[in-house]
Amino acid sequence: MKFTQRFTASALVALAASVGATAHAKDAKDISVAVIPKVAVPFFDDCNKGAKTAADKAGVKYQWVVPQNTQGSTQVQIIEDLISRHVDGIAISVNEPKSVESVMKRAEQSGIKVLTYDSDSPRSGRSMYIGTNNEQAGATMAETMGKALNGQGEVAIITGQLGAVNLNERIAGIKKGLAKYPGIKVVETQGTDDDLARGVSVVETTLRAHPQLKGIFGVSQVGGPAVAKVLNTKEFGTMKGKLEVLAFDDLPDTLKGLKDGYIQGIMVQRPVTMGSLAVEHLVAQIQGQEAQPKDIDTGVTVVTKDNMTSYTK
Amino acid sequence: MICSEPAKEERSVTAISSKKEPQSGRAADWIKACLRMRELNVLSVLLLVGLLISVFSPYFLTTNNLMGVFRSFSLIALMSIGMMLVIITGGIDLSVGSVMGLSSLVTALVFQHGYNAPAAIGAGLGVGIAVGAFNGFMITWIRLPPFIATLGTLSIGRGLMYIITKGVPVTPDVPDSFTFIGQGYIGFVPFPVVILLAMTAVFSVVMRQTRFGRYVYATGGNEVAARLSGVRTARVKFMVYVLSGLIASMAGVIAFSRFVSAEPASGFGAELDVIAAAAIGGASLSGGAGSVEGAIIGAALAGIITNGVVLLNIDTYAQQAITGCVILIAVSIDIWRVRRKER
Repeated sequence: MKFTQRFTASALVALAASVGATAHAKDAKDISVAVIPKVAVPFFDDCNKGAKTAADKAGVKYQWVVPQNTQGSTQVQIIEDLISRHVDGIAISVNEPKSVESVMKRAEQSGIKVLTYDSDSPRSGRSMYIGTNNEQAGATMAETMGKALNGQGEVAIITGQLGAVNLNERIAGIKKGLAKYPGIKVVETQGTDDDLARGVSVVETTLRAHPQLKGIFGVSQVGGPAVAKVLNTKEFGTMKGKLEVLAFDDLPDTLKGLKDGYIQGIMVQRPVTMGSLAVEHLVAQIQGQEAQPKDIDTGVTVVTKDNMTSYTK
Repeated sequence: MICSEPAKEERSVTAISSKKEPQSGRAADWIKACLRMRELNVLSVLLLVGLLISVFSPYFLTTNNLMGVFRSFSLIALMSIGMMLVIITGGIDLSVGSVMGLSSLVTALVFQHGYNAPAAIGAGLGVGIAVGAFNGFMITWIRLPPFIATLGTLSIGRGLMYIITKGVPVTPDVPDSFTFIGQGYIGFVPFPVVILLAMTAVFSVVMRQTRFGRYVYATGGNEVAARLSGVRTARVKFMVYVLSGLIASMAGVIAFSRFVSAEPASGFGAELDVIAAAAIGGASLSGGAGSVEGAIIGAALAGIITNGVVLLNIDTYAQQAITGCVILIAVSIDIWRVRRKER
């Protein structure tokens, strides 16, 4: 009698516990997460790498959905399709912050965990933002430039999409950081839509218009390759070494530019880390293990010729 | 040239298949007429692709998903109505994507300057009418080839958008009554889909039952003969470009209402999607053939492929290639069936 009573009691407890547990923790293999980049550029291949590794480690289903263009409407459509697909978590690097607000709120209301990485949409109700603190990165760039130019000279800023929130934050950070160096003047800020051909043309025009230029800030990934290409020509070859060029993101062409001396420093973000943290935190939130998500700054590494073979992302 | 209407009455210009109707009852007649409908070709491809996707994904045939898909292709489908009219007259309108973007932008700017919704919508639609009239003028008065004229307006529109926005999206505050247009529902049907259905019904009737519709087909089928028969072909052509512009601006206003953000590159490339939808819908680029219903089906086909790619977790890089293949297959089947009927 006593044994069967105890057995039933413990069986009931075990049953209640398992029901309680499944109410919170989904089986890993039933969880599906989707990660959306901005567009198909190499930076996001690194994010994909980190995200997929984390997904494989957690044993969850993983989907990488690349928008065909940088229009806000394209990402809205993708998120809608993912909602229909009943994914459990979405991590997105946002092209245009306003247009995705309402669809992201709809995803959250239907129980999907949503976070942003690399590029934020602050008013979309996302649980957290994982990415580079862009203003800080810009300030670091300004500091590096200020020291290299000894606080004197004309500089230009080459950016990507003029409307991109993350790029404009970097520019704001640069301008704030340059306040310490009143002898440095920003004479041009030009956009390129991150298109290489446009970037080359913009850099050439800038160099022709300002022959005494001392430094170039490339705040998006097209800056490095564009400057490297331009300085590798007869017309501008003499400016190599006389210009302090700081680039963003370690594309192969940018690294080559660093090695060949066209570029002096690269701010390297940590896309692999961004991707893996995004998936890890999504899974944790889906399983109810993360109550108070907070934004994470993945930071930048300043890569120069000295450490270019030894840094990690 | 085969007209897409069921063979019911003789018309002065376009050739129609003249099979005699057997006397076997109205229902049978109606069914036979439907089967002979050219739109059935492309409709069957649409249903087939839809079936294929639903076999592999249980989420495809859910109300939410289907309504979402309809809403996302509704703008291209809407613009393809106007494009179909233009193509039937033997012309083409490359500026629709540009007009859509520009209308979005103008609507946004009017809101930004503090005016109310009716003013903003009026301004947005006004842009479409103005550009359409400009296109029509270039084509009917100055006699520019439609390809060149609308290519010019496309470039001017794009340039204007970049000049005005300086590359930064315009995101004003808008009242909720306005966002209903792009984000609201009537029952479970999204409002843009309601607008699409209404416009399809209106233009379907216009093209099949009104004199204007016949004039459009006549102008496209054989412009000289139409003119000699008393059709004011210049006026007809002018009207279709104005209509195309107006419809494109409707799409722009709806798009802005949905995303509440007017981007500098908005509408970029949309003209190709719209032309593809019209081509799938039976439009012959030399004019005289095609139907509004066909264009809608064409847009639906492209739309469900985009949706299917995400639902089935197919590499999104493959999406454009898949869409291209399906378009070629759909139009080939259509042309093959038309050829068979001609023999």
